[in-house]
Amino acid sequence: MAPNSDWQEGNAKGEPGSSLHGVTGREPVFQMTMETVGEKEATDLKGRKFALPVDSEHKAKTVRLYSVAAPHMRTFHLSWIAFMICFFSTFAAPPLMPVIRDNLGLTKVDIGNAGIASVAGAVVSRLLMGTICDLVGPRYGCAILMMITAPAIFCMPLVSTPVGFILVRFFIGFCLATFVSCQFWMSSMFNSKIVGIANGTAAGWGNMGGGIVQLVMPLVFDIIRRDIGSEKFTAWRIAFFVPGVLQVMMGLLVLTLGQDLPDGNYAELKREGEKVNDSFQKVFLYAVTNYRTYIFALTYGYCFGVELTVDNIIAEYFYDRFDLNLQTAGIIASTFGLMNLFSRPLGGVLSDVVAARWGMRGRLWNLWIIQTVGGVLCIVLGLTGQLGPAIAVMLIFSFFVQAACGATFGVIPFISRRSLGIISGATGAGGNIGAVTTQGIFFMSSKYTTEDGIMLMGIMIVACTLPVIFVHFPQWGSMFCPPSKATEEDYYISEWSKEEQSNGLHHASMKFAENSKSERGRQSPPRSKEETVVVDGV
Amino acid sequence: MGQSLLCGAWVLFALLSFVDATVLFSTLPRTLAVEDEIQNQVPAMGLAKAGDDHLVIRWVLNATAQEAAAPGLDASYEKVSLKLCYAPVSQVERGWRKKNDDLHKDKTCSKAIATQKYTSQGNSTVWRITKDVPGAVYFVRAYVLNSNGTQVAYGQTRNLITIEPISGRHASIDVAAAIFSAFSVGSLIFFLALENMRGRRSSGSK
Repeated sequence: MAPNSDWQEGNAKGEPGSSLHGVTGREPVFQMTMETVGEKEATDLKGRKFALPVDSEHKAKTVRLYSVAAPHMRTFHLSWIAFMICFFSTFAAPPLMPVIRDNLGLTKVDIGNAGIASVAGAVVSRLLMGTICDLVGPRYGCAILMMITAPAIFCMPLVSTPVGFILVRFFIGFCLATFVSCQFWMSSMFNSKIVGIANGTAAGWGNMGGGIVQLVMPLVFDIIRRDIGSEKFTAWRIAFFVPGVLQVMMGLLVLTLGQDLPDGNYAELKREGEKVNDSFQKVFLYAVTNYRTYIFALTYGYCFGVELTVDNIIAEYFYDRFDLNLQTAGIIASTFGLMNLFSRPLGGVLSDVVAARWGMRGRLWNLWIIQTVGGVLCIVLGLTGQLGPAIAVMLIFSFFVQAACGATFGVIPFISRRSLGIISGATGAGGNIGAVTTQGIFFMSSKYTTEDGIMLMGIMIVACTLPVIFVHFPQWGSMFCPPSKATEEDYYISEWSKEEQSNGLHHASMKFAENSKSERGRQSPPRSKEETVVVDGV
Repeated sequence: MGQSLLCGAWVLFALLSFVDATVLFSTLPRTLAVEDEIQNQVPAMGLAKAGDDHLVIRWVLNATAQEAAAPGLDASYEKVSLKLCYAPVSQVERGWRKKNDDLHKDKTCSKAIATQKYTSQGNSTVWRITKDVPGAVYFVRAYVLNSNGTQVAYGQTRNLITIEPISGRHASIDVAAAIFSAFSVGSLIFFLALENMRGRRSSGSK
């Protein structure tokens, strides 16, 4: 199998904005060559020209946010909007909780269980989604998930018992796996140098759904009560048709307008023989035997998991502690999720900026500092008893917690090249497990008041971020330890057996290793004997 | 210097008296006797349906309190505010209904029934249980307010009533939910089948 010589178009000069090669980055490992064409003549399989400049894999080399040109930018917008709507649906109940808890006679334990249920389903669905995207493509994965979970949203207006409420929130929560399809899709459409920004922006804007919903649902509830004249206990039920209808519409749009790869859909490409798959067992093995997978699953549980937890509790917290009405509590709660507009992308960008100077060690320090500061601010939030200061602290806290999410995915792509998909899925699942655990311990029973729960959650964030100290890359070092004499090639080739190497299957990883030398930071001496020309020396 | 300081303190004190002083429930005398009675559509002991049934509430100045206390006890009584309050059994595991001695923070009595002018002969009111009352066990409490609106005394019913809430569901909502769900799954299957057919046709023609 001939290696594709300009597969990555890298020149290993530590370009900024290699803001890390994407999240799921499940670019097919042994991609057969697309014709090597000049930019001007790039066409897809059907001979149509691309609107954006593309590389040899026909992945876009820029992101033009204002454009909806097929296939790249259209995918970007379809993908992040679909993810945003899923977030919207999953967190549609919390802003209306003061009404729902009265209608259904819920206790604090019931509300806590429902919150846990809403994020627990996605633990499994996120793990499965990576494989589903591999098999049938992200377009089908995303659309099928959205349209299958929409009936669960329509079941919410029919709920009349606490158990029913918990079950419905559980099934709605499955759609959070669109995170994986979103990132997978971005990685298929955007060149590795910019896929980080594309992914971070798409993920951040998707997460905003958790904020937008806190604004929209109380508003819709109010309109239904005032203008249609429904009773409170009926109005909230009607309000749930909004997320349901949006999700169905979006699922249809994804099906009709979306496209799996720049050149076409999976089914067509499989028939043409353009797509080949790696061995699932091997990919799974290398993910499971890498200790860094577990550390980042844990730490992501305490930035993204905390974000999910706060999405679930914050509106009710402001409503109860500060005696606000539903709309005001919703507006304040929404600002938490809306900060994602820039805080998550900025977290990734910060990671890049720091890496340009200090390499991977800088990224690890960056992540640890941002997430720990977030934890401290969470403690402060729980202790703040006045409304104005509480809002201010919450805003700053939201920035740090979301930036930590972005910064985490600045490191993930370097853990493994072969198993990137599964590791990203595992990290995402870890985020949801963190949300389940945190809600279970601190926000379930009346043992802790909500403000105490928030404060204790902050302490747990600080504690669970400490394991970042133990992440060590032999070729780049860790927070406190310098690198050894190992090289990037040594690290990434260890994922391929001798037999696979003799078949030339490892060439893509070697290309990646070459490009990843930027993670040494500036002014680090070349370490391997074979290197003559200094890779960075920038 | 000392005099102006004293003067300032006095002004501050005077101003503070306009601020709502914290009223502690435990300090309020129970001088009213309150009774309630359910007027059901369908007779049921102690059970009332939100939206359908009525509550008749009677309150009067407690006879024993009237005798024992000095005349002029009710000189400051201006208004009586009747409220529907959660019984302790409905407050368990629900922090948003929690009892607090500080009446500003107390969440026991969240539903206002009526406010009437105080008369020593007492009064009564008939209240239709509104549809937004949650299902729980309740009692009725009457707060006596002075001209500032602060509570100065109270009275409450001795028996408890259970209110059954409306479900909030309607047949039309159920039908709409079913239709939308069917549309969602149906259109998905339709599109998948369509693409499958198109795919087979194009590979068949190759």
